[in-house]
Amino acid sequence: MRMIKRLERSPTLILAVITAGFIIFGYSTSILKITDFIIFCIYVLGYDLLYGHMGRLSFGHMLYLGAGAYGTALCAKYLSSNVFLAILCGILFGAAIGGILGPILIRTKGACFALLNLAFNQVGHFLVLVPLAKITGGEDGISLHFTGYRFLDFSNIHQLFFLSLISLILVAFLIIKFTHSPYGILLKGIKENETRVNFLGYNTYRYKLITFVLSTTIAAFAGALTTLNYNYANPSFIDPHRSVEVIFATLMGGAGSVLGAVIGGAAFMTISNYLPRYILRWEMFLGLALLIIAFKFRKGIWGYIREI
Amino acid sequence: MADTILLAKGVTKRFDGLTAVHNVTYEVKAGETAGIIGPNGAGKSTFFNLLTGFFIPDEGQIFYLGEEITRTPSYERVNRGIVRTFQLVSVFDTMTVLENMMLSRIRQGRDYRSKRRFFFKSVYHPDLVDECLQALDTLGIADKADIKTSDLSYGEKRELEIVIALSLNPKVLLLDEPFAGLSPIEIGHISRVVQQLSGKFAILIVEHKISKLVELVERLCVLNEGTLVCSGTPGKVICDPQVRECYWGKEETA
Repeated sequence: MRMIKRLERSPTLILAVITAGFIIFGYSTSILKITDFIIFCIYVLGYDLLYGHMGRLSFGHMLYLGAGAYGTALCAKYLSSNVFLAILCGILFGAAIGGILGPILIRTKGACFALLNLAFNQVGHFLVLVPLAKITGGEDGISLHFTGYRFLDFSNIHQLFFLSLISLILVAFLIIKFTHSPYGILLKGIKENETRVNFLGYNTYRYKLITFVLSTTIAAFAGALTTLNYNYANPSFIDPHRSVEVIFATLMGGAGSVLGAVIGGAAFMTISNYLPRYILRWEMFLGLALLIIAFKFRKGIWGYIREI
Repeated sequence: MADTILLAKGVTKRFDGLTAVHNVTYEVKAGETAGIIGPNGAGKSTFFNLLTGFFIPDEGQIFYLGEEITRTPSYERVNRGIVRTFQLVSVFDTMTVLENMMLSRIRQGRDYRSKRRFFFKSVYHPDLVDECLQALDTLGIADKADIKTSDLSYGEKRELEIVIALSLNPKVLLLDEPFAGLSPIEIGHISRVVQQLSGKFAILIVEHKISKLVELVERLCVLNEGTLVCSGTPGKVICDPQVRECYWGKEETA
């Protein structure tokens, strides 16, 4: 118990545990697979900022991951072969989509916010599949070959693993900083009672927009790394049906904490990658697990460990 | 007009055909402690919400220090000095008492106006913690700083809400039914706090417990069915036959 409290209070310890955990996990299983896990955890961290910290549940967050993935792929294909420029393009594209949709979306909350996100996600998915198929490659997507940058070679799975891990640590560090700052307390306040925060003199609209754009930017970063990891971008990266994955991971790990998000992301990816080997219809298990979490472990795995 | 700090001029608010506040003109003078009473459903809270920007009036205007603020958002009004408490105590239950305090102090603290500090520096800065503890101590709840707010009694939450309101540097403090749900001891405590604050800035109290309000305010108004019925010193108002009929008359005969 004391160890858990100590871990929670020390950002350095949290980041060290995440780093060590993924290195051990990666080198004892499959580096390629764990790179995928790490990227998904970045996505979950971005989503958790919106849902876990600010209390806004979105059913369409794949749109922003897809924006990052396609932004990177399109930049690499049509503009520049520089990997970092392509990643930056993907991130900026996700941030721009968040910046454009944010002012509309954050005026709503609850079911309306969740469903509007889903609606925009479906529009984005359709745009990629049909009207923009000439640029995006439609159902086939865009295939790429990332060569590397100077001494970096991204066809080397170890280098890609460490690039993803450094990215995860950076995002986790940023979120720890945010949540321990006055801004973090403000988010907590908005989650509990937005009107009250308004009557403390805060323009909640501004902070909700900042949080939304930050969340979409982090999701886009995860999307950019996904393209780099797979060497392609296809419509499954923006598929609204997959938006449930990040919600599931957040709930599973425990919303509102960096460790919860990372544990949830890793647990979800473990289930979805390894369970199909033993159970053909593994999605049913996922549904059952969600039911158990909803009824028995409402604060998720990390929430449960904290309360032991 | 010179010492009028807050003025509502002919404000009306309707909800689906029901007129909650009808053509009310009311002013709060700098430094005075005034009260508004009225039976349930008289429109007191709606009027409060109009003054603080929670609702926008359908008709009429609101002025603050001579400047029109009818459509000014609530957070902007707070930053200019119009601070309120709520009928149902409104503090953040998921936070500790100290965190509740911090959230209000940060807004006013000069140091946190820098974006770098607001987004990246730890909120537990020794100066800020000291400042918050001192503020909590004014109402004797500093020893509860690390307690989750949900574990406080209703009266303690009310005290915390008032400390928070005071930390926002009010020029006009609007207290919405500050005695609702409190025990007689707690009411006495809050009354003493209000008496100590009288004269430092304008205070407007909306209350149901008339006996308590009479002791606290210099000027009393009665709102009934959304209309201002009577205004004057507390002694004059409670003797007004119209007030007796619309307020106590109904209560006593019931």
